[in-house]
Formats: sequence, structure tokens, C-alpha cells
Amino acid sequence: MSATSGRQSRREAILLITPGVALLIGGFLFPAFQILAMAFVPATEDAGIWSNFARFFVDGYYLGVTERTLRLSVIITAITVVLGFPIAYIIARSGPRLRLVLLIMTILPLMTSVVIRTFGWVIVLSRGGPLTDILHAAGLVERNFALLYTETGIVLAMVQVLLPFMAITTLGAISAIDTRIEEAARTMGCSFWRSLWHVVLPLSIPGIVSGSLLVFALSISSFVTPSLVGGVRLPVLAWSIYQQATSTLDWHFAAAQSVFLLLLVMAIIIPYLALMRRKNG
Amino acid sequence: MVNRVPFAARATAVILGAAILFFMLAPLAVVVGASLTAGQFLSFPPQGLSLRWYQAVLSSPAYLSAAWTSLQLAVLVMVAATVIGTPVAIALTRHRLPGSQIVAGLFLSPLILPTIIFGIGILIFFSLYADGPSLTALWLGHTVITLPYVIRTVIAVLEDSDPAVEEAVRTMGANWWQRYWHGILPQCYGGMAAGAFFAFNISFDEAVIALFLRTPELQTLPLKIYAELEFSPDPSVAAVSTVMIAMTVVLIVIIDRLLGLGRVTG
Repeated sequence: MSATSGRQSRREAILLITPGVALLIGGFLFPAFQILAMAFVPATEDAGIWSNFARFFVDGYYLGVTERTLRLSVIITAITVVLGFPIAYIIARSGPRLRLVLLIMTILPLMTSVVIRTFGWVIVLSRGGPLTDILHAAGLVERNFALLYTETGIVLAMVQVLLPFMAITTLGAISAIDTRIEEAARTMGCSFWRSLWHVVLPLSIPGIVSGSLLVFALSISSFVTPSLVGGVRLPVLAWSIYQQATSTLDWHFAAAQSVFLLLLVMAIIIPYLALMRRKNG
Repeated sequence: MVNRVPFAARATAVILGAAILFFMLAPLAVVVGASLTAGQFLSFPPQGLSLRWYQAVLSSPAYLSAAWTSLQLAVLVMVAATVIGTPVAIALTRHRLPGSQIVAGLFLSPLILPTIIFGIGILIFFSLYADGPSLTALWLGHTVITLPYVIRTVIAVLEDSDPAVEEAVRTMGANWWQRYWHGILPQCYGGMAAGAFFAFNISFDEAVIALFLRTPELQTLPLKIYAELEFSPDPSVAAVSTVMIAMTVVLIVIIDRLLGLGRVTG
């Protein structure tokens, strides 16, 4: 690099990056700003620029949808934290071969289409599905028991869809912990469980926090799983946006809801980015 | 270290780990199982074993045309994302650019914007300024969301590689294109290939953007599955899904060989 003059290097860099920047501006930033602009265009002429947003807040239906979306996201995030930490710890501390097998088993669901994963849950949760069979055999439920079209069903499916994100983020934090710290704690007379609680857990908090923010942001904006498992009966924000944009064709209201959803996501993502920056120095 | 982990802890790890992995993999296993049924209806466990639903898929024009659309789209996206993303990654790692941190952040921003919002954005964009949804619109949308993966994987290999190689190539009298072609690009191959496979996989599996841009003629495989699930699913949906799961397994193995899964996942 030292032999190339600074100016030539910069010219090369600009040349290399131009097609990417053009795609980013034309294909991403412009459509995103289009939504923003559309949200402020009133549906009728005598309405004000905030009318699309006002409609959202005045109508109890949409507040109910928002409340459900947020409540489910909190529950889903909490469960992925509880399940994600042990799985990440187990992967981090297994030998190289087992580690690879476990990683593949975590990544396979992640890389499979969310439609297919949800499909699996539709079979599992439906009336007469394997879950009903097992619970019925255990004498816990009636024959016609089903979790499809229930919030419990949505939570189950969403946890499975989002757990890999949590596990992999937490795994990153745990892998970065020097095992000698754990050994030191153990040598000083700490039991295994105490070292897990007092050493490993506190040191992996940054990973758990960023994993939680990621899972929360993904779950408040997720569409496919809630709409197939919850259906029309249990609408979430993303479902409502989709309906307005494709069935009612009310793009202005869909845009306003999108802006509202984006604000919710940003409220979560901005602390996340701040956290990542602090972690990276 | 391992020897001093108490038996109770190891037993808990095995049981808990197995339970969670079972929970993770069960839905996929159920889909594969359901595809093998000999019966008329979607059910798990399957009623008798047969490959008849795979045969049904292979003789269904609707599935075949959706598969063809998805395949075309995924290949186009893979090529575009790799060709556009690789130079971006080279510029960000090998050159000093003003505000390169911000530029790098902007290139990763499609990962942050919820797909549902981006989906409407693309729909409105193409409805206002073009003839509405088209394969081109889908191509553009998928390329934008897969670009960050290519950029990240190529940056990952370039950060590990030795800049002295380029120095050597230049000292030997290479001009600028020889420097890129023989000096820098070969160092990118692993990351480019892994990024390309990610792009292919994401595009092939993506449903939300495709849902906004669907028309009676423009139907991808995940959309066809989605539509079947909304109305009247039969076991052929499970057969198609199983084929897609198998493709994903193959892609994961390839990515692991090229780059190592441990490195991709941090």
C-alpha cells in the first residue's frame, strides 16, 4: 500500500465501491425514504399530515395488535435467553468435533426457510398432530386439543425460529472468555455451579444483551410465523402492515404503521449498536 | 478442566443439550417424516412409507415453475451480490476511504431494516416508477438484502490474509489490473464463495419480499409453500420442503469446507 500514492488509492477505492453505493441508494435508501414520505401524505385532502398516525392511535384495534406484538416479543426473548445460554455454554466447552456437530445442528434450522420451519410447527401444533398424541397419551389433554391459532403456539414456533440467533451471539461472548479465569475460580474452591453463576454468566452478559436485542427486534417485525400459526385471529403488527399494503391497498396507512414499527425497532437497535461499539473499543 | 466438571453438571448438560436440540430439529424432522407418507393427508407420523408425493411434485407444473423461478432468481442474486459486494469489501479493507466506518455501517443497514418494511418499499417503488412487481424487482430486493453477507465474508478473509502478497505482486512490476486479478482477488475466493452460497440460500428461501411482489406469474418456491399452507396443504408440500432442507444441508457443508463454520458464526 505504501508504494501506491494516497490519491491513486482513493481513486481506486471510489471506483470499487461505486456500484455498491448505487445499489444501496437506489435499491435500499430510496425505497425506505419513499415509505417515510408516504406515511405523511394524508389519505383525504382535508386531513393533516399526522392523520395516518392518528388513525393508528385512535383505533383500539391497532393498539391491541401492538400490545400483543410487544407482549409476545418479550416472552419469546425471555425464553430464548433461558435456553440460549446453556446451549451456547455447552457448544463453547465441547471438543472440536462435537462442537462442529452442535454448530451444524444450530445453523441448519437457521438456514432453512422460515416458511418450512413454520410448516413443521403447523403439523406439530395442529389437532391430531404429534404433540396432541403425546399429551393425550400422558392423559393431559383431550383428543381434539390443538395449539394452532393460539398465542402459546406462536411463542413455541417463534422461540425455535429465533433461538439460533441468541445461541450464536451468546456463544461469541462465551468463546471470548479465557478458560483460565474459570479454572482460577475453581482452584480457589468455587464449585462448578458457582463459577458458572459468578464468573461465566457475568462475563457473557454483553453477548446475552446483544442477543436479546436482536431477537426482540426480529420478533416484533416477524411476519411468516405469526401469520401461519396465529392466522387472522391473532394479528400482529407485521401482519397488519401486510394486510393494509396488499388487501386494502391503503399504502399511506401501511407506511405509517411501518414507520411506527421502525421506530420501535430503532428504539432497540440504537442501544444495541452503542453496546457493540463500546465492546469493539 | 473437563475432568473437574462434576458428574451432575455433565449429565445436566447432556440432557438439556439433547432436549434443546430435539426442540430445534423436531419441526424439520416432522416435515421430512410427513413427506414420506403413503396416505392422502398431511400427518405425522406418516401412514405407511412411499415416495409418491415426490413423484406428485415432479409432475406438478405449478411446483416446477415455482422451482424454476426460485432457481433463476437465486443464481442471478448470487452473481450480482458477489460481483458488487466483493469490490466493496476490498475497498473497505485495502484502502483508506473518508468516513469508511459510516460507509461500512450503511452497507450492513439492510440487515437492520425489518424485511416487511423493505418489502412494501420495493412494492411501492416498482408500482410508482415501473410496471409493478417483476423478476427484476425481486432480483433487486434480494440482492440488497444478501449484499451484507458477501461483504462480511470477504472482509473476514481479507482481514486474515497477508497484504504483503499484493506488495510482492506490485514489486514484481504488476500494473493495477494485474494487482487485482493476480494479487488481491485470489485471496478473496474463499470469502466470495461462502458469501455467494449464503446469497443463494437466502434468496432461494426468502418469503417476505417475494410475498409483496407476487403476481400470478411470479411465484417462488417458498411462496408456493406459503400459499399451500394458507389453504389446503397436502403431503406434496412436505416433499418440496424436504428437498429444500436437503439443499440447505449441502450448502452448509460447502460453506464449512470453504471458510469454517466457526469463523462465519464468530
